[in-house]
Amino acid sequence: MQEYGYVGVFFVGGLLFVCFNLVLAAFVTRLIKAHRPHFAKNLTYECGEAPQSEAWVQYNARYYLFAMMFVLFDVEAAFLLPWAVGFQTMWLDLGWLALIEMVIFLAILGLGLVYAWRKGALEWV
Amino acid sequence: MGIIDGLPAHIEKFPGGGLLMTGVNYILNEAKASSMWYMLFGLACCAIELMATGASRYDFDRLGMIFRATPRQTDLMIVAGTLTLKMAPRVKLLYDQMPEPKYVIAMGGCTIHGGPFYHDSYSVLKGVDKIIPVDIHVAGCPPRPEALMNGCIQLQNLIRTERLGHERDRPGLRIITPRQIPGQPPVNSLAPGGALIRPNEIPILG
Amino acid sequence: MIVEDLSNADCLVVPKEIYRQVAEFLKADAELDFDYLEFQTCADHPPENLNFVAYLRSLGKGHRVGLKIVMDRRHPALPTLADLWANADWNEREVFDLFGVVFHNHPDLRRLMMPEDWIGHPLRKDYLHPNVVKRPD
Repeated sequence: MQEYGYVGVFFVGGLLFVCFNLVLAAFVTRLIKAHRPHFAKNLTYECGEAPQSEAWVQYNARYYLFAMMFVLFDVEAAFLLPWAVGFQTMWLDLGWLALIEMVIFLAILGLGLVYAWRKGALEWV
Repeated sequence: MGIIDGLPAHIEKFPGGGLLMTGVNYILNEAKASSMWYMLFGLACCAIELMATGASRYDFDRLGMIFRATPRQTDLMIVAGTLTLKMAPRVKLLYDQMPEPKYVIAMGGCTIHGGPFYHDSYSVLKGVDKIIPVDIHVAGCPPRPEALMNGCIQLQNLIRTERLGHERDRPGLRIITPRQIPGQPPVNSLAPGGALIRPNEIPILG
Repeated sequence: MIVEDLSNADCLVVPKEIYRQVAEFLKADAELDFDYLEFQTCADHPPENLNFVAYLRSLGKGHRVGLKIVMDRRHPALPTLADLWANADWNEREVFDLFGVVFHNHPDLRRLMMPEDWIGHPLRKDYLHPNVVKRPD
């Protein structure tokens, strides 16, 4: 139980640190900052030209697809790495099952990749 | 202006206050000087020498200088290359978009006083300090990387002489006033297609 | 029509009235086949003349020819070649910007290099601007 106490101390300490920084940001910075306002500092950056519009624009939904695919296969890689590290021990205990298990996992995700490929999610047009 | 501009003068009145401010100034100046991030602002041939100075043989990174593409993240603008009248409004806007504290190095003859384009050129702005205040001028056409490196080291020395609460004296400043153009009303907003200064209106001394 | 021989191309000095027909003929003729307009520029000869030069080249056959027009520098005006060769569009905008030659029937005649509200034509010999510092003699 005492170990949880240590964790609790760190948790409370972290919370206090965050609150301390928030107080600093809210009240102390406006005392010690160098205040040199200029309207150009709030303008959208457009390589020196006068900005045509605001910078918060709509962009293509294709980026969302790519982000989703990335997350899926990134999580797959995150599962692969510890398996690869402990493979030698697993081989002694389980033998071929250790390999077949991971192959099944990869095959399921590979099926998902083939589906995305056939559906055209990998095209950039 | 926050209290940080007025406070050092009060602190220095107390015994030991001067010593405290010296320590604070030392820390702040070392922090500023050792990590000047410069804006990639190559306009012409001096940009090649700027790139060469940032490359491996004469490295800028050993002075802590890294290039950034956007003025929001830089403290230093190295104006490298010829500045034409058409480009001048963009330079002015980019300089204004940099947050304080900001410094300018005018690299090469063209940015100092027009360089080889001083005579008979209708389109070159003869000296970048007609529109932005310059701290260090590095002479050369183009300056060798060692010369530019020396300029950056001189800028570091200049920063180390700064004192909190005392506005920096800029002898390289020729024309700049709070208005963008002397005699014109100040520009406070920018419509698309507008400019802070217009090429036809830039005051030009001979 | 006068033919001048220069070192790298023959140059035809063409009167302004038949310039357009000469250009059309040079492009359309099968043997001559000038399908590339290299560049167009001017040379200012005060007090009277403004010489306009256009160089044509045949990419298939390999020969070059120049067309040279001597104009009155007070009112320089020429027909456009923009519908024959596509790059004449910007070449003629540049010539208009820097010398003041007006091209008839040009699709979009405005300044190319100088800022839009610039006054004057910089490459003329009598051009004066406060930004120009004359070399001391």
